[in-house]
Amino acid sequence: MIFAPVNLISQSDSTAAGKDSLSYYDMSLEQLLKMKAHGVPSELEKLINTLISVASKKPLNTRESPSIVSLITEEEIKKSGARDLIDVLRLVPGFDFGVDVEGVVGVGIRGNWSHEGKVLVLLDGQETNEILYACTFFGNHYPIEHIKRIEVIRGPGSAIYGGFAEYGVINIITRQGEDINGVIASATYGQMEKTYGRRNLNLSIGQKIKDFQYSVSGLIGQGNRSDQIFRDFKDSSYNMVGNSSLNPRYINAAVAFKGLSARFIGDFYQTRIGMRYAVVNPHGPYFENFNSMFSELKYVIKVSDKVTITPKLNFKKQTPWQNQPSDSILEAGAYNVSAYRGTGNITGSFNFNRYINLVAGGEVYRDYATANLDTNAFSIDTTGGKYIRKKSVTYNNFAFFGQGLIKTRIVNIILGARYDKHNVYGDAFVPRVGLTKKYKRFHFKALYSQSFRAPVIENIHYQVGAIRPERTQVAELELGYQITRKSILTVNFYDITTVKPIIYFVDTVTHNDGYSNFGKSGTQGIEAEYRAKGKWGYFTLNYAYYTAANKEKVNRYTVAGNSSALLAFANHRLNMNASFNLTKDLSINPSLSFFGKRWGYAPSDTAKGKSDLKQFDPTALINVFIRYTTPLKGLSIGAGVYDILNQKITFIQPYNSDHPPLPGPSREIIFRLSYTLNYKTKN
Amino acid sequence: MLFLALVLRGLWSGNYKAQETDYKAYTLFVYNFMKYIEWPEAQNKGDFIIAVLGDSPISKELQVLASGKKIKGRAIVLKKCNTFEETSGCHLLYISASKSASVKTFKDQIKDKPILIVGEREGLAKKGAGLSFVTLEDDELKFDINKKEIEQHQLKISGSLINLGIVIN
Repeated sequence: MIFAPVNLISQSDSTAAGKDSLSYYDMSLEQLLKMKAHGVPSELEKLINTLISVASKKPLNTRESPSIVSLITEEEIKKSGARDLIDVLRLVPGFDFGVDVEGVVGVGIRGNWSHEGKVLVLLDGQETNEILYACTFFGNHYPIEHIKRIEVIRGPGSAIYGGFAEYGVINIITRQGEDINGVIASATYGQMEKTYGRRNLNLSIGQKIKDFQYSVSGLIGQGNRSDQIFRDFKDSSYNMVGNSSLNPRYINAAVAFKGLSARFIGDFYQTRIGMRYAVVNPHGPYFENFNSMFSELKYVIKVSDKVTITPKLNFKKQTPWQNQPSDSILEAGAYNVSAYRGTGNITGSFNFNRYINLVAGGEVYRDYATANLDTNAFSIDTTGGKYIRKKSVTYNNFAFFGQGLIKTRIVNIILGARYDKHNVYGDAFVPRVGLTKKYKRFHFKALYSQSFRAPVIENIHYQVGAIRPERTQVAELELGYQITRKSILTVNFYDITTVKPIIYFVDTVTHNDGYSNFGKSGTQGIEAEYRAKGKWGYFTLNYAYYTAANKEKVNRYTVAGNSSALLAFANHRLNMNASFNLTKDLSINPSLSFFGKRWGYAPSDTAKGKSDLKQFDPTALINVFIRYTTPLKGLSIGAGVYDILNQKITFIQPYNSDHPPLPGPSREIIFRLSYTLNYKTKN
Repeated sequence: MLFLALVLRGLWSGNYKAQETDYKAYTLFVYNFMKYIEWPEAQNKGDFIIAVLGDSPISKELQVLASGKKIKGRAIVLKKCNTFEETSGCHLLYISASKSASVKTFKDQIKDKPILIVGEREGLAKKGAGLSFVTLEDDELKFDINKKEIEQHQLKISGSLINLGIVIN
């Protein structure tokens, strides 16, 4: 249906100048198709009314979606000049980063270390967590310049997504053929004080032709985590210039015809490090690979207006933490294990009417891991503590999940649950209930969820005692008020209790390592965000606070003498992200991340070879990026500075296991060039 | 200072009012209901009378409409009512949100008279109104159509209007 070209009246006339004009009523019947109940939305209203499905499968607007969510748009990512996902996610309330081992940086949520299997990272629907340790890897990795939007659940998501979504979900959606509609090429260069921070090239090609859509996007690049000196607890050191490489190679290809779609993602991420675990490698730096290949075949079958059934097959092959054989100078031997997961999923969505929706389905997956170097890589507990060693292992899991959504005039009610059964570690059942509603300017969310972390292949292999899924209970309350058409204030409270957390530890005396369930952990906190958005740009200010004071603690996370703080993560965080349109084509985009006091283990000042618990002073990262759309059609350029104050913020290990703080990047000057060639006709 | 100035400029300019219901858009729909629904021949004489039951901000907008627009050459007359007796002679009865509970009572009293009942609140078409407004998830303004109810009142709804709404029976 097309609008009558001669009739130029639109709904904007009802809220703008022509308020009393009777010609408004001359609109054609077709024009009524797009009328909004609350008038033409402001820029902010468009954002907060965006439908997202990450928290419910059934699309709901951000204010009624049954999770505490953050929506990050392509505009925000582009304008901020974000170098990678660390820059983007640091601005999300409650999100922060710490170091794991071997220089790998992972995410923490609301004070809780989430890197290993506690936060799910989806990339165009593909579960990117590797299945040996369930980790995800940050730092010049994910294709930041391909992203259309990111939907972040800052709370549990296991009732929908299973055992990697215990504390949060990061749902990355990249541009599809229709969004690209031509060719997009971009180049980024970042210069730190002593070496380059990154030099990346991106290319995307895609188009939608009637019901057919295709896209191919690629990224190739090189980067450095830092240009500082890394010093271990034994007082050995190495220069990270050229020895902290973060080199992405990535391709994402997709085709879709009507409801049928197929996708392949190749993610070949290589790092270079000078340490083994956390100790400077006496044989020098070496490369480590984190390679993943994902493929998906999906068919969305619209049985009727009310019923949709989606069968889906996924397959992934991953070889994370892989040291190349040519680098087998490693003191402790090379690691080279390939893991495969094949998943079948069928999900049905039934809209009984506009007010009642039911989503239900089942999922089965099979994991297989094989050691590429060692024929006896895995210890298998055969009968009550009798171990045999094998080259490969296989595990199975099946799950059922369901969710009911009932919308009433008073409140929306969401009830859901998921049941998983694994052939080794047993079962996990996680229910959730949510109440949400928007009343004109005000909205609220009251949520209670259980979630779990599924042990993965190496957790089982390195288990000390029989490992079980760790369980978490989260209660959340969000209150929001739209102050003006351009601004909204949101405040939320949470209480997290994790029972029997699975923790990796290295015995500081024997240096033996393993995984075990520990006692209890958790945090409570508050997050507040003010957002303003208009034609002039946008301004976001958020604050996050957590405390562990009222929670039981696990020794490895604690800060001696401070009951409220946990290792690595500041109790107080403040972020600001803004964009001001100086002209139609020129914007200036400042951002700020403030970190309160942090605590972590660092080399001792008094006893050589030992570590001390130290307090890290409050730090602020201040950044600015200027973006200009040139008169040359499709060409935009940008330049900016990240960490203007040159604070070189460190990544601290959130659990006490022998890793000194990892130096971060120094001040980095960023240049970005982007060119878009759109096809003339958009079908 | 520059940032502060820009922030202040951004935050303290423009409309302070949060997003409120656009009753002018509702009125536009009502106007199209009048245009695309046929009343029995006997009713097509004299003024077209809209009765509004209860208080609703739409009254003001309907008054603007009535002051300058006509339906097939007929003047639009607006009247406010609180009882069934006061609806006498009307073609369209608009039940405001505050009077939603009255829909069944009025429906029973109107019986099969050629009066189109339009409900402001979502769900009233299921309770006896011929049409009632609906706000979809993305804030799109739509309307439910109770075709059976409309036909029972000797009214005929055009196909193009049906295509625009959501038929519930």
